[in-house]
Amino acid sequence: MNRREFLQCAALLVTGASASQLGFTLSQEQQAYLAKAPDYTAQGVDYLTDAQRRIIAAMAEVIIPRTDTPGAIDAGVPKFIELLAANWFNDQERATFEAGLADMETRIPREYGAPFDQLSPGQQLEIMEALEDAAADSDWYDLAGGSTRDFREFNSDAPFICQVKELTIWGFFTSEAGGTQVLRYNPMPMHFDGDLPLSPDDSAWSGSLL
Amino acid sequence: MIDAQVYDFDAIVVGSGVSGGWAAKELTEKGLKVLVLERGKPLQHGSGYLGEHAPPWKVPLQGKRPRELYEAEYPVARKVYAFSETNRQFWINEKDNPYVLDEQDPFWWIRADVVGGRSLLWGRQTYRWSEQDFGANAADGHGIPWPVDYKEIAPWYSYVEKFAGISGQAEGLPQLPDSEFQKPMGWYALEKTINARLKKKAPDVTLTMGRVAVLTEDLPGRSACHYCGPCHNGCSTGSYFSSLSSTLPAAKATGNLTLKANALVERLEYDPASGKVARVHVIDTATNERAAYSAKLFFLCASTVGSTQILMNSTSERFPNGLANGSGVLGHYMMDHTLGQSGMGIFLDNMDSYYYGNRPTGLYVPRFRNVGGQDEDADFVRGYGYQTFTIRLDWQFNANSKGFGAGLKEKLRKPGPWIFGFAGFTECLPQESNRMYLSRNKVDRYGIPQVAFEFKWSDNEVKLRQDAAKQADRLLRAAGAALVVPVEPEMSKPGEGIHEMGTARMGADPAESVLNAWNQAHEVPNLFVTDGSFMTSSSCVNPSLTYMAFTARACDYATRQLAAGQI
Repeated sequence: MNRREFLQCAALLVTGASASQLGFTLSQEQQAYLAKAPDYTAQGVDYLTDAQRRIIAAMAEVIIPRTDTPGAIDAGVPKFIELLAANWFNDQERATFEAGLADMETRIPREYGAPFDQLSPGQQLEIMEALEDAAADSDWYDLAGGSTRDFREFNSDAPFICQVKELTIWGFFTSEAGGTQVLRYNPMPMHFDGDLPLSPDDSAWSGSLL
Repeated sequence: MIDAQVYDFDAIVVGSGVSGGWAAKELTEKGLKVLVLERGKPLQHGSGYLGEHAPPWKVPLQGKRPRELYEAEYPVARKVYAFSETNRQFWINEKDNPYVLDEQDPFWWIRADVVGGRSLLWGRQTYRWSEQDFGANAADGHGIPWPVDYKEIAPWYSYVEKFAGISGQAEGLPQLPDSEFQKPMGWYALEKTINARLKKKAPDVTLTMGRVAVLTEDLPGRSACHYCGPCHNGCSTGSYFSSLSSTLPAAKATGNLTLKANALVERLEYDPASGKVARVHVIDTATNERAAYSAKLFFLCASTVGSTQILMNSTSERFPNGLANGSGVLGHYMMDHTLGQSGMGIFLDNMDSYYYGNRPTGLYVPRFRNVGGQDEDADFVRGYGYQTFTIRLDWQFNANSKGFGAGLKEKLRKPGPWIFGFAGFTECLPQESNRMYLSRNKVDRYGIPQVAFEFKWSDNEVKLRQDAAKQADRLLRAAGAALVVPVEPEMSKPGEGIHEMGTARMGADPAESVLNAWNQAHEVPNLFVTDGSFMTSSSCVNPSLTYMAFTARACDYATRQLAAGQI
């Protein structure tokens, strides 16, 4: 999708401009609904302490950093993680999450002399890799995340590091920044081409979730 | 002096899904004053599609699923691929509207609860039955013979196809007659690669574009598909056929349509003096008020289970076992297609080829087993077809990768390998023991007995499913899969195909069927049933197109009979 096409689509979603030229009409109600609907992460949540928020944000940024494109923090991932941990996790998952976070809060300053979010990128990566090594036998890493689960749901047995990774990756690629600036987004393709040239650097489409 | 009977309506149609929408259109266009009763909530075409084109970042939980809510209120529907927060308002709340769900042998009764019914949510696959399909019962002795044949139905297929708008490729195959087609959708490069290999190495099969009720050319009031992807969120451009986009607007345009939503039909009232249905008794689910409406004609189009439930709940001295059920077969001979993955492969061909737009269908492999006669190596009767799926893997498939940082981000943002697979749709034999019935002790919030099911696949369905997996494996190897992923050919749950049918079957003999060749109750001349209940066998193809054709034909017949004073 080129920029002109993207702007056309974005314009349609927001204002309905040039809808008839493109051969279809979105109803006024639908436009109003979509334009008014807030992002999921726009809502408030009061679950983590500020110190915990800094740790989660730093962990998310280690997983999906800002490069020449937005990273996890740019995409609102820390808020997404807090929202899901607060409102969506079941008791077992929340207990795992809180225990993992407590470990990060207490152990890391003891071992490294400072909170996780104040460590160097190398130290942060070392800590995350150690967590991943310790979790390596979790079936979260199996093909399709454990063969029995629906990816739209969750693996309740996932260790803390896997929880944070999954919510970071999911939250990032379903965010506006991740979906439009890292992936390619086009809600109104208008035609189908089954043989679009793909360059080695091209991103996948954002779009239908499984 | 004899008073002329005054009727509230000329015809009453129960249900507004695929069949009910067609009945409404046909009967109103013939000049009848028609009342359509829909148990579901009102829904406006376009503005009611709240999740259409919603980007993931505006969807609750950004697409993760509200698990507790779904388990409590949508325990069955949540298992359907199309069920999502972007269309949950279309589905029935199962907690408020229970049926008897056997935990050991569950039957999945998948229901919508809006005007338009499951026509909003259907898979849109549209295939004609063949001469062999209509002759199958007579040929192998399962079930009873169909009282109609392909030649009789063919013009009605043409009639409904032109209005519904079917895109697809003509192939000239006797086992899958061509429809009136709009131009077919395009192929992925990988699919062309696979097709070329299959032509050489598996010439016994045909790979054709899925035949779908999705427009590739504009029709009045409806636009060609814009390839946004998730049809089941609703389509404000009317690009796929639904009652809301297509038949109900046509019915409304006549000025003869009255549509009542929230109108749950409790029962039909039989009048022993006339030998006909006199009234329909309705509960308004919004106000709990009860009402009754009279008409000359009654069309049940409430879905197979819904219509059969109404008939079973409409008892009288004349019909103690359910209306029009002198034969005793009502509720029996229920069928559903077994379906599911038969085989899947990872392909490394055409890696530098991608796609633009989301094509709302896969390819289709028409039945190739027991075509025209019994295959020598087949220990089963009848056959199956495959719907295929082509997927370019993306971050959703490897989100559980090891690693961190820019490398992980790069890996996740790029397309992965191709997946191509076959999903078999298998014919189901009619068996008396597969049935639905009314619970003796469980009622819903209105006091209507709940529906219960007894359904087990026969050996024939199991063998078909196993053969479908075996043949899919052969085809994947012939197609050049880099890796054939092993698939266990498990049986789908009864009802999971969402092709439940056959509980008020048609036949020539009133002693063993509920309906005659015109979808008219043998014993009640002003009663017609044109949803899946009438099906005498199941074929292996998706059934909705056949419901459309029989509905239009029944409306034509009923109107002529009415005019001739025969009803």
